[in-house]
Amino acid sequence: MTLRVIEPGLRSTVQDAGRFDHWRSAVPQAGPADPLAFQAALRLVGNDPLDAGIEIVGLPFRFTLDVPRLIAVTGRDVTVRTRGTIRGWTSAFARAGEEVTIAGGERSRFSYLAVSGGIAVAPVLGSRATYLQAGIGPIPRALAAGDELPIGPARRGADGAGRTALRSDDSRILVLRGPHADRVRGAEALLRGRPYIVSESSDRMGVRLEGPPLAPGGAEILSIGVVPGAVQVPHGGQPIVLLADGQTTGGYPVVATVTSVDLGRVAQAAPGETLSFYEVDCAAALEALRAVRRWLERL
Amino acid sequence: MAARIVPFGEAALLLELDERIDPAVAARAAAIADAWERSGSGRAVPTYASVLLRFDPIELEPAAAEELARAIADTPGAPLDPREREIPTRYDGPDLDEVARMSGLTTDEVIAAHAERAYRVFFLGFMPGFAYCGVLDERIVAPRLASPRTRVPAGSVAVADGQTAVYPFASPGGWRLIGSTDVAMFDPGRDPPALLRAGDVVRFVRR
Repeated sequence: MTLRVIEPGLRSTVQDAGRFDHWRSAVPQAGPADPLAFQAALRLVGNDPLDAGIEIVGLPFRFTLDVPRLIAVTGRDVTVRTRGTIRGWTSAFARAGEEVTIAGGERSRFSYLAVSGGIAVAPVLGSRATYLQAGIGPIPRALAAGDELPIGPARRGADGAGRTALRSDDSRILVLRGPHADRVRGAEALLRGRPYIVSESSDRMGVRLEGPPLAPGGAEILSIGVVPGAVQVPHGGQPIVLLADGQTTGGYPVVATVTSVDLGRVAQAAPGETLSFYEVDCAAALEALRAVRRWLERL
Repeated sequence: MAARIVPFGEAALLLELDERIDPAVAARAAAIADAWERSGSGRAVPTYASVLLRFDPIELEPAAAEELARAIADTPGAPLDPREREIPTRYDGPDLDEVARMSGLTTDEVIAAHAERAYRVFFLGFMPGFAYCGVLDERIVAPRLASPRTRVPAGSVAVADGQTAVYPFASPGGWRLIGSTDVAMFDPGRDPPALLRAGDVVRFVRR
């Protein structure tokens, strides 16, 4: 039971929910840049939340399976072509040997392929996630044409095809006030929706933003542990939102933290697009998280 | 100093103990991180003088997490069990002469000052296996480079602002390079993967 990669895209990697047990050795959690899209793909094929899938950067991605299997693709502006064309965010049944093409649009960034049963490679440091910078993971590199990945026993059959994950998105990105918001001039405007533009140099480590510079006043801060979603303000005053491959510690003030529910939408913003952040309290962030988990469970 | 606890997103708290670089404060941060993990609430990341406490807010309400964090912060931590680690070092770094010049020392004096000291690991950060160690002999003057190198080789032994460290992987970096080592600072096949952990005593041995 294998998945054979025919066309790998630009920088596609095996990912699972992330590597959570080695932060104290400064190992970033890795995992999907858009956790929600990834989890939705897993749910659509009946997988466990800890199963592995493929994060695709740079479509198209083409592959075949040597067994018939339920698949799903999520991400921005994605479509799946087999015998016909299927919308993204919909489970489909791929026949054995049939070539499957995942295509995207200009705004596609991180797309997720889940195969029922998961990519069954052996975990490294407790996870199947790939961290490319340090070559950590069972397949510690970008996927290449000809790669054959083992897949696990199917968790759902052909009758699971045609399920769709529909979710209406608010355009606002909800954030919580960061630990250093009070020390940074301009933080209040950022927390109240002042727009920032996504820079070209964004990647899995972080989304770099351009806009009215923030002014980290006062003394430097000592390095602290940080989480994906942290909005850091480096010396130049242009904020960076940390993503899955972000460092485990950082020495820059943190003015906000993107709620876990909205982090994927930050990751998926294309260069030149605008992001606006709005402060909410912890109760509202939790309610959003509960709603999303309920939505995932219903898929 | 009483700990300050602030939310860091809905799934983490930042517990701040102090605002200085001091082995005793870092040891307390590491002990609090251990206690948090022992409580089964989630993982923790200690640094110089603070601890990031992570948890699943569906399992543990943020208010309850804060209460638990406060109780842990007030408990005197168990002393760390320090391990001794030696790092065989060739003092052949490209910045050695410049560091000597800035310090007003000979290169041999810089090497002796660096190698004859026992350092404490404050915490790991920046990249897998990178351990911030200190404190340096005060005579060694080594501010960070104004513009970081685009590539520091793996195994570089470096100094900056009173601290010393080894780069486990090739990467961009702003510390000054005074030597090199062949020791594997990080190996994903090991558990734990990093050679060093917070609280360890480290010596650089001249080769």
